[in-house]
Amino acid sequence: MSDFRIALRPALGSATGPASRGVSLTAMPEGHVVQVLGRRPHAPDLSGVLEKAAGPAHRAVHAAGPGQWFIVGDAPLSRDEFAALSAALQPHATAVDQSHGRIRIRVEGTMVERMLAKGTAVDLDPGAFPVGTSAMTLLGHVSVHLTRIEIAVFEIMVLRGFAESLWEDLVRMSAEFA
Amino acid sequence: MASLISCPHCGVRPKEEFAIKGAVLSRPAPDAGHQAWTEYVYLRDNPRGIHREYWHHTSGCRRWLVVTRDTASHEVELCLDAAAAKLAGVRP
Repeated sequence: MSDFRIALRPALGSATGPASRGVSLTAMPEGHVVQVLGRRPHAPDLSGVLEKAAGPAHRAVHAAGPGQWFIVGDAPLSRDEFAALSAALQPHATAVDQSHGRIRIRVEGTMVERMLAKGTAVDLDPGAFPVGTSAMTLLGHVSVHLTRIEIAVFEIMVLRGFAESLWEDLVRMSAEFA
Repeated sequence: MASLISCPHCGVRPKEEFAIKGAVLSRPAPDAGHQAWTEYVYLRDNPRGIHREYWHHTSGCRRWLVVTRDTASHEVELCLDAAAAKLAGVRP
Protein backbone atom coordinates (compact mmCIF):
# COMPACT_ATOMS: atom_id res chain seq x y z
CA MET A 1 0.00 0.00 0.00
CA SER A 2 1.22 3.46 -0.86
CA ASP A 3 2.58 5.60 1.99
CA PHE A 4 1.20 8.80 0.62
CA ARG A 5 -2.10 9.94 -0.69
CA ILE A 6 -2.26 11.23 -4.26
CA ALA A 7 -3.37 14.84 -4.17
CA LEU A 8 -5.38 16.18 -7.10
CA ARG A 9 -4.18 19.65 -7.92
CA PRO A 10 -5.43 21.86 -10.74
CA ALA A 11 -2.88 22.05 -13.56
CA LEU A 12 -3.02 25.85 -13.64
CA GLY A 13 -3.76 26.39 -9.96
CA SER A 14 -1.28 29.14 -9.22
CA ALA A 15 -1.05 30.62 -12.70
CA THR A 16 -1.78 34.30 -13.05
CA GLY A 17 -2.25 36.01 -16.37
CA PRO A 18 -3.19 39.31 -17.93
CA ALA A 19 -6.70 40.56 -17.29
CA SER A 20 -7.12 43.64 -19.44
CA ARG A 21 -9.63 44.75 -22.04
CA GLY A 22 -7.13 43.85 -24.75
CA VAL A 23 -6.44 40.27 -23.69
CA SER A 24 -7.38 38.34 -20.61
CA LEU A 25 -6.52 34.73 -19.76
CA THR A 26 -8.53 32.47 -17.46
CA ALA A 27 -8.01 28.82 -16.56
CA MET A 28 -11.38 27.16 -17.10
CA PRO A 29 -12.83 24.75 -14.52
CA GLU A 30 -11.46 21.21 -14.85
CA GLY A 31 -14.91 19.78 -15.56
CA HIS A 32 -15.10 17.19 -18.25
CA VAL A 33 -13.69 16.56 -21.70
CA VAL A 34 -15.03 13.58 -23.60
CA GLN A 35 -13.45 12.62 -26.89
CA VAL A 36 -15.93 11.17 -29.37
CA LEU A 37 -14.67 8.98 -32.19
CA GLY A 38 -17.03 8.13 -35.03
CA ARG A 39 -17.12 4.53 -36.20
CA ARG A 40 -15.96 5.62 -39.62
CA PRO A 41 -14.28 8.93 -40.42
CA HIS A 42 -16.50 9.40 -43.45
CA ALA A 43 -19.69 8.43 -41.67
CA PRO A 44 -22.88 10.41 -42.27
CA ASP A 45 -23.46 13.57 -40.25
CA LEU A 46 -23.70 12.73 -36.54
CA SER A 47 -24.60 16.21 -35.28
CA GLY A 48 -28.11 15.09 -34.25
CA VAL A 49 -26.77 12.10 -32.29
CA LEU A 50 -24.10 14.26 -30.64
CA GLU A 51 -26.49 17.00 -29.59
CA LYS A 52 -28.90 14.45 -28.14
CA ALA A 53 -26.09 12.67 -26.29
CA ALA A 54 -24.62 15.91 -24.93
CA GLY A 55 -28.05 16.93 -23.66
CA PRO A 56 -28.95 20.29 -22.20
CA ALA A 57 -26.51 19.97 -19.27
CA HIS A 58 -24.37 23.00 -20.19
CA ARG A 59 -22.14 20.97 -22.45
CA ALA A 60 -20.70 22.00 -25.76
CA VAL A 61 -19.80 19.86 -28.76
CA HIS A 62 -16.65 20.93 -30.60
CA ALA A 63 -15.54 19.38 -33.89
CA ALA A 64 -12.01 17.93 -33.92
CA GLY A 65 -11.36 16.65 -37.42
CA PRO A 66 -13.33 14.24 -39.60
CA GLY A 67 -15.42 11.88 -37.47
CA GLN A 68 -14.07 13.26 -34.17
CA TRP A 69 -15.48 15.62 -31.59
CA PHE A 70 -14.95 16.84 -28.04
CA ILE A 71 -17.87 17.19 -25.64
CA VAL A 72 -16.83 19.64 -22.92
CA GLY A 73 -18.45 21.08 -19.81
CA ASP A 74 -17.52 22.90 -16.62
CA ALA A 75 -18.98 20.36 -14.17
CA PRO A 76 -17.21 17.07 -13.36
CA LEU A 77 -18.82 14.05 -14.95
CA SER A 78 -19.89 11.21 -12.67
CA ARG A 79 -19.39 7.58 -13.62
CA ASP A 80 -23.12 7.20 -14.34
CA GLU A 81 -23.28 10.37 -16.41
CA PHE A 82 -20.37 9.20 -18.52
CA ALA A 83 -21.98 5.79 -18.98
CA ALA A 84 -25.23 7.46 -20.11
CA LEU A 85 -23.35 9.70 -22.53
CA SER A 86 -21.40 6.76 -23.88
CA ALA A 87 -24.57 4.69 -24.32
CA ALA A 88 -26.35 7.54 -26.14
CA LEU A 89 -23.58 7.64 -28.74
CA GLN A 90 -23.76 3.93 -29.53
CA PRO A 91 -23.61 2.47 -32.13
CA HIS A 92 -22.52 5.54 -34.09
CA ALA A 93 -19.53 6.61 -32.06
CA THR A 94 -17.34 5.76 -29.08
CA ALA A 95 -16.74 8.06 -26.10
CA VAL A 96 -13.38 8.29 -24.31
CA ASP A 97 -13.12 10.24 -21.07
CA GLN A 98 -10.24 12.72 -21.37
CA SER A 99 -11.21 14.91 -18.40
CA HIS A 100 -7.96 14.06 -16.59
CA GLY A 101 -5.81 14.71 -19.63
CA ARG A 102 -6.90 17.99 -21.17
CA ILE A 103 -7.00 21.51 -19.81
CA ARG A 104 -9.10 24.36 -21.14
CA ILE A 105 -7.99 27.98 -21.17
CA ARG A 106 -10.29 30.88 -21.95
CA VAL A 107 -8.75 33.82 -23.81
CA GLU A 108 -10.76 36.90 -24.55
CA GLY A 109 -10.47 40.56 -25.39
CA THR A 110 -10.44 43.02 -28.21
CA MET A 111 -6.91 41.97 -29.30
CA VAL A 112 -7.37 38.23 -28.88
CA GLU A 113 -7.03 37.35 -32.59
CA ARG A 114 -3.86 39.38 -32.91
CA MET A 115 -2.41 37.65 -29.86
CA LEU A 116 -3.28 34.15 -31.14
CA ALA A 117 -2.01 34.97 -34.64
CA LYS A 118 1.49 35.05 -33.17
CA GLY A 119 1.26 31.31 -32.60
CA THR A 120 -1.02 29.81 -35.22
CA ALA A 121 -1.48 30.08 -38.98
CA VAL A 122 -5.25 29.52 -38.84
CA ASP A 123 -7.21 32.45 -40.27
CA LEU A 124 -9.03 33.81 -37.20
CA ASP A 125 -11.03 36.50 -39.00
CA PRO A 126 -14.66 36.21 -37.78
CA GLY A 127 -15.70 35.75 -41.42
CA ALA A 128 -13.44 32.73 -41.90
CA PHE A 129 -13.64 31.43 -38.33
CA PRO A 130 -17.13 32.26 -36.99
CA VAL A 131 -18.48 31.55 -33.50
CA GLY A 132 -18.67 27.78 -32.94
CA THR A 133 -15.81 26.91 -35.31
CA SER A 134 -13.04 24.66 -34.02
CA ALA A 135 -9.60 23.83 -35.32
CA MET A 136 -6.80 21.52 -34.24
CA THR A 137 -3.61 23.43 -34.82
CA LEU A 138 -0.16 24.30 -33.54
CA LEU A 139 0.19 27.26 -31.20
CA GLY A 140 3.91 27.81 -31.27
CA HIS A 141 5.20 24.25 -30.86
CA VAL A 142 2.25 23.02 -28.82
CA SER A 143 -0.64 21.15 -30.39
CA VAL A 144 -3.95 22.70 -29.32
CA HIS A 145 -7.65 22.59 -30.05
CA LEU A 146 -8.97 26.08 -30.67
CA THR A 147 -12.66 27.06 -30.58
CA ARG A 148 -14.29 30.45 -30.96
CA ILE A 149 -17.00 30.31 -28.29
CA GLU A 150 -18.06 33.96 -28.53
CA ILE A 151 -17.18 36.74 -30.92
CA ALA A 152 -14.12 37.83 -28.90
CA VAL A 153 -13.66 34.70 -26.77
CA PHE A 154 -11.63 31.60 -27.63
CA GLU A 155 -11.30 28.34 -25.76
CA ILE A 156 -7.92 26.64 -26.05
CA MET A 157 -7.76 22.98 -25.11
CA VAL A 158 -4.34 21.48 -24.53
CA LEU A 159 -2.84 18.27 -23.14
CA ARG A 160 -2.50 18.63 -19.38
CA GLY A 161 1.28 18.27 -19.37
CA PHE A 162 1.62 21.18 -21.79
CA ALA A 163 -0.84 23.47 -19.98
CA GLU A 164 1.64 25.37 -17.84
CA SER A 165 4.11 25.81 -20.68
CA LEU A 166 1.35 27.03 -23.01
CA TRP A 167 0.09 29.39 -20.30
CA GLU A 168 3.55 30.97 -20.04
CA ASP A 169 3.67 31.33 -23.83
CA LEU A 170 0.22 32.97 -23.85
CA VAL A 171 1.23 35.40 -21.09
CA ARG A 172 4.28 36.41 -23.11
CA MET A 173 2.25 36.70 -26.33
CA SER A 174 -0.28 38.92 -24.51
CA ALA A 175 2.27 41.19 -22.84
CA GLU A 176 2.07 43.98 -25.42
CA PHE A 177 -1.74 44.15 -25.19
CA ALA A 178 -1.97 44.15 -21.40
CA MET B 1 9.64 22.60 -50.09
CA ALA B 2 6.03 23.63 -50.30
CA SER B 3 5.35 25.67 -47.18
CA LEU B 4 1.55 25.78 -47.32
CA ILE B 5 -0.51 22.60 -47.68
CA SER B 6 -4.22 22.84 -48.46
CA CYS B 7 -5.57 20.09 -46.23
CA PRO B 8 -8.97 18.86 -47.53
CA HIS B 9 -10.30 18.90 -43.95
CA CYS B 10 -8.61 21.89 -42.30
CA GLY B 11 -7.87 24.30 -45.13
CA VAL B 12 -4.51 25.92 -45.79
CA ARG B 13 -1.97 25.11 -43.06
CA PRO B 14 1.81 25.52 -42.71
CA LYS B 15 4.05 22.52 -43.34
CA GLU B 16 5.17 22.50 -39.68
CA GLU B 17 1.84 20.91 -38.78
CA PHE B 18 2.55 17.88 -40.98
CA ALA B 19 4.80 14.84 -40.88
CA ILE B 20 5.99 13.43 -44.20
CA LYS B 21 6.16 9.69 -44.73
CA GLY B 22 7.52 9.69 -48.25
CA ALA B 23 6.73 8.64 -51.79
CA VAL B 24 3.49 6.88 -52.62
CA LEU B 25 4.56 3.42 -53.74
CA SER B 26 2.52 0.29 -54.28
CA ARG B 27 3.48 -2.48 -51.90
CA PRO B 28 4.85 -5.63 -53.60
CA ALA B 29 3.18 -9.00 -53.07
CA PRO B 30 4.55 -10.92 -50.04
CA ASP B 31 6.27 -13.42 -52.35
CA ALA B 32 7.53 -10.83 -54.82
CA GLY B 33 11.13 -11.70 -54.11
CA HIS B 34 14.20 -10.08 -52.61
CA GLN B 35 14.83 -7.59 -55.42
CA ALA B 36 11.30 -6.14 -55.44
CA TRP B 37 11.25 -5.78 -51.67
CA THR B 38 14.69 -4.18 -51.52
CA GLU B 39 13.57 -1.61 -54.06
CA TYR B 40 10.33 -0.96 -52.17
CA VAL B 41 12.03 -0.57 -48.80
CA TYR B 42 15.30 1.18 -49.68
CA LEU B 43 15.37 2.71 -53.14
CA ARG B 44 13.81 6.09 -53.82
CA ASP B 45 13.79 8.40 -56.80
CA ASN B 46 14.65 12.04 -56.26
CA PRO B 47 12.46 13.55 -58.95
CA ARG B 48 12.56 17.12 -60.20
CA GLY B 49 8.95 18.08 -60.85
CA ILE B 50 5.73 16.39 -59.87
CA HIS B 51 6.09 14.18 -56.80
CA ARG B 52 3.44 12.25 -54.88
CA GLU B 53 3.88 11.71 -51.16
CA TYR B 54 2.03 10.58 -48.06
CA TRP B 55 1.72 13.41 -45.55
CA HIS B 56 0.21 13.08 -42.09
CA HIS B 57 -1.58 16.11 -40.65
CA THR B 58 -0.15 15.41 -37.19
CA SER B 59 -1.07 18.71 -35.55
CA GLY B 60 -4.38 19.09 -37.33
CA CYS B 61 -7.00 16.54 -38.34
CA ARG B 62 -4.55 13.60 -37.88
CA ARG B 63 -5.51 12.15 -41.27
CA TRP B 64 -3.19 10.67 -43.88
CA LEU B 65 -3.14 12.74 -47.04
CA VAL B 66 -1.74 12.22 -50.50
CA VAL B 67 0.01 15.42 -51.55
CA THR B 68 0.97 15.95 -55.17
CA ARG B 69 3.55 18.72 -55.32
CA ASP B 70 6.19 20.09 -57.63
CA THR B 71 9.68 19.77 -56.16
CA ALA B 72 11.01 22.48 -58.48
CA SER B 73 8.36 25.20 -58.18
CA HIS B 74 7.10 24.21 -54.70
CA GLU B 75 3.52 24.35 -55.93
CA VAL B 76 1.00 21.95 -54.44
CA GLU B 77 -1.11 20.54 -57.22
CA LEU B 78 -3.48 18.28 -55.32
CA CYS B 79 -4.12 17.23 -51.76
CA LEU B 80 -6.47 14.32 -51.01
CA ASP B 81 -7.44 12.35 -47.93
CA ALA B 82 -5.74 9.00 -48.54
CA ALA B 83 -8.61 6.87 -47.21
CA ALA B 84 -11.32 8.93 -48.91
CA ALA B 85 -9.47 8.75 -52.22
CA LYS B 86 -9.19 4.98 -51.87
CA LEU B 87 -12.91 4.65 -51.04
CA ALA B 88 -13.84 6.79 -54.03
CA GLY B 89 -11.65 4.63 -56.23
CA VAL B 90 -9.34 7.52 -57.11
CA ARG B 91 -5.81 6.29 -57.71
CA PRO B 92 -4.04 8.84 -55.51
